[in-house]
Amino acid sequence: MQAEYAIIGGGVVGLSVAWGLQRRGLRVVVLDGSDGDFRASRGNFGLIWVQGKGMYAPRYAEWTRGSAALWAAFASELGECTGRDLWLRQDGGYEVFFDDAEMARTAAAYEGLKARLGGDYPYEILGGNALRREEPAIGPRAVGAILHGEDGHTSPLLLLRALADDFRRLGGRVLTGRQVIAVDRPDGFRMTCADGETVEAGKIVLAAGLGAATLGPMLGFRAPVRPQRGQILITEKLPKLLRRPTVDLRQVEAGGVQIGATNEEVGFDDHSTQPAMARLAARAVETVPALAKAQIVRSWAALRVMTPDGLPIYQESAAMPGAFLVTCHSGITLAAAHALRLPDWLEAKRGAPDLAAFSEDRFSR
Amino acid sequence: MAEFDLAIIGAGPAGMAAAVTADKAGLRVALLDEQPRPGGQIYRNVSQASADRVRVLGADYALGRGLTTALAESGVQHIHGAVVWAIEDGFRLSYTANGTAAQVSARRVLIATGALERPLPIPGWTLPGVMTAGAAQILLKGSGIVPRQAVLAGSGPLIYLVAAQMVRAGVPPLALVETQSTRDMIGALRHMPGALRGWRGLAKGLGLIRELRRAGVKRFTGADRLKVEGMDRAEALCFRAGGEDHRIACETVLLHHGVVPNTQVARSIGVSHRWSSAQQTFTPVLDAWGGTDRPGLFIAGDGAGISGAMVAEIAGRLAALKLAEEAGHLGISERDRRAAPLLRARARELAIRPFLDAAYPPYPGALRPDDDTLICRCEEVTAGEIRQTATLGCLGPNQAKSFTRAGMGPCQGRYCGLTVTAILSQTTGQSPDETGYYRIRPPLKPVTLAELAAMAETGATNPEGE
Ligand SMILES: Cc1cc2nc3c(=O)[nH]c(=O)nc-3n(C[C@H](O)[C@H](O)[C@H](O)COP(=O)(O)OP(=O)(O)OC[C@H]3O[C@@H](n4cnc5c(N)ncnc54)[C@H](O)[C@@H]3O)c2cc1C
Ligand SMILES: Cc1cc2nc3c(=O)[nH]c(=O)nc-3n(C[C@H](O)[C@H](O)[C@H](O)COP(=O)(O)OP(=O)(O)OC[C@H]3O[C@@H](n4cnc5c(N)ncnc54)[C@H](O)[C@@H]3O)c2cc1C
Repeated sequence: MQAEYAIIGGGVVGLSVAWGLQRRGLRVVVLDGSDGDFRASRGNFGLIWVQGKGMYAPRYAEWTRGSAALWAAFASELGECTGRDLWLRQDGGYEVFFDDAEMARTAAAYEGLKARLGGDYPYEILGGNALRREEPAIGPRAVGAILHGEDGHTSPLLLLRALADDFRRLGGRVLTGRQVIAVDRPDGFRMTCADGETVEAGKIVLAAGLGAATLGPMLGFRAPVRPQRGQILITEKLPKLLRRPTVDLRQVEAGGVQIGATNEEVGFDDHSTQPAMARLAARAVETVPALAKAQIVRSWAALRVMTPDGLPIYQESAAMPGAFLVTCHSGITLAAAHALRLPDWLEAKRGAPDLAAFSEDRFSR
Repeated sequence: MAEFDLAIIGAGPAGMAAAVTADKAGLRVALLDEQPRPGGQIYRNVSQASADRVRVLGADYALGRGLTTALAESGVQHIHGAVVWAIEDGFRLSYTANGTAAQVSARRVLIATGALERPLPIPGWTLPGVMTAGAAQILLKGSGIVPRQAVLAGSGPLIYLVAAQMVRAGVPPLALVETQSTRDMIGALRHMPGALRGWRGLAKGLGLIRELRRAGVKRFTGADRLKVEGMDRAEALCFRAGGEDHRIACETVLLHHGVVPNTQVARSIGVSHRWSSAQQTFTPVLDAWGGTDRPGLFIAGDGAGISGAMVAEIAGRLAALKLAEEAGHLGISERDRRAAPLLRARARELAIRPFLDAAYPPYPGALRPDDDTLICRCEEVTAGEIRQTATLGCLGPNQAKSFTRAGMGPCQGRYCGLTVTAILSQTTGQSPDETGYYRIRPPLKPVTLAELAAMAETGATNPEGE
């Protein structure tokens, strides 16, 4: 057996799990696809975001908050081991509103969630002036914001790189350019790649993002994931303008302001489009009028890995025990939980998180 | 949104010739170019140039007047000062002119965006006082400014031309430091029969070299280990040639080692490209008319592969004939009758290319820069950092980009793309085609948020998700 675990997919989800397992002394190999594959991990917004998550699914809200709480330790361990600062900023984030009624509706929904969580849900409602005291760059049309203290952001690319570096430093192996096309179980699991190469492992984790839709059924999963396009813009480097991120604006480490992201159901199409770019720009300028003069130097689009209800799937295959499906929409937010808590669940250790709420059985009910 | 039968991007020889030909055939044509006046690179500003400027720039330059005059007399809508920053299916082009963003739509599009100078990353190339020979020529064509105390270094016919133009302007370069060797020249001789068929091109080159010799410009060939020295700005060019180390003190270093197709527009809409080992660059995959694998989308001129201004003009006309035929304005036999002499002329003009490509290869030192040399100047990424991503398993430039930020700056990878592909390909042992190129997206050139926002159909929308 070449490894105890093979992880199919070297995006942020696969690498977080791989790093977490390798760090516990297990032998892990990661198989990843080609340079042109769809990779949400390379095109996401970089938020560690709690607000709004699991508004009607309290277990998801808890799981997300648990990950957000682990992020500082996760980032500092990765930072120390790789000498790379992940640029984690976690002192709150906003959702900005332009309409009083809508803000009131959202606040009421948070009260409901807070009640379901036994009163433990830290958020604040800021009126327009209070918001502008915190963020002088925010324009007069904003009526207020919800500030959630557990929200934050990081550089998703530095995270990806640090995971890749440190996984290797710990002795993990990443095989790139290896598209897995078939899996069978002569003894352990055997993966066959498009180039003919085979890899064997005792257990496997399918963390192939959108690739899970094709591979999943071979392993007995439903894997109902679909693409959802998100387009993002980024400005030239600017002097400090924003203290905290909003759900669609964040100033990145190099100074550019990142503007995101659309939610488009367009299938496997990751092109940038002018109408969406214009819409994002209009909203950004409305939120922060000083951005009007800033140059957009780049745009990109990436495909979210979405389940029907937007929640993660953590599932062991009934048909092939030892094969696990791990997929989620918010892979940055959940990276800390995936790295530090999923290994216990995969290894069925005592104290493993209860992930029954995230079984894909929920889709057959 | 204004609608046309044909939109052409780029008003160099290819774009102008195509526009005039298509207009004559009865198509409604829009010609968009970022420059204030038609002409492209070679004929930049020709319609406004003084007699003295034309004397300095030479007879070839004056040839451009024929095209700019024909364009002015045509019914082509020339949208000048228009930076095209997006092209989408349909086709829809987005551009900014006079600080306002606008769009045109057209059933068919011809990309005639020409060439870019191949970046020449050597130690010190990002110091103030270092620029490309082409940039120096743009200053000369646009405003008559000639750099003083300059050394020209690199390879390719364009450096002879720029050197001769500097001589004629009364400010000769201190020296010409050429990286191609006698071995390259001897190797190129097997293409001589072809080159002789295109003898006019060859004679022009020899004439320029004679002109430089007469003016007493010092010339080195087979130069290696090029390096720009200086603390805050360029102070000298150092190199090795003829078995000796040289150091030429200077104020300006003009670097050039050939031009490569500007493929950004074509790539952004998904046209397939292949590696050309003769030209050491990617070129779009085209049929004989310049048609791409996208229906209705054509490419002509140096953007299709480097062939020079005469071929660009011919290719522009050929593409226009095919486009006019597809649009139902020209019968097939008429198209072919008019194409025949153009095809013959193109074959004649192309005869010298294999010789030029072999005689003036890019400077090898810049295709394999030292680890410490910066290759992405926007984000200050070194060659060594790119090599390191390959050892981390990055197979292509898009993965390397997300690990290093190379290619994320305002130039959209125009100046580091080929170098990154080359370094990765050398390190992984995969071919340049397997390695691939940056994914190019709009905006192809920076655009302000206000310009973009003004294009939004509705006002601001609800917040969207992370
Ligand atoms: C626009 C946008 C904004 C986002 N913003 C945020 C945010 O702010 N915060 C947040 O937490 N999340 C955000 N996300 C979501 C987050 O990016 C994803 O949850 C995460 O990247 C998913 O990672 P992944 O590893 O599952 O998938 P991917 O990154 O898509 O990686 C899948 C990998 O699997 C490989 N693969 C696929 N098939 C095969 C196969 N057959 N064999 C071998 N390898 C294969 C591919 O090569 C690829 O590398 C955003 C997503 C998008 C698109
Ligand atoms: C810097 C430089 C200087 C050169 N000087 C000479 C010379 O003096 N003599 C010579 O024989 N050859 C010269 N060449 C080679 C010469 O460019 C070509 O042989 C010839 O001009 C090719 O013609 P073309 O029509 O293909 O493109 P070009 O003449 O290059 O015309 C392309 C036009 O497209 C415009 N354009 C590009 N992108 C966009 C966009 N996104 N939006 C709007 N407009 C756009 C450009 O501004 C340009 O005007 C030079 C090349 C370069 C790069």
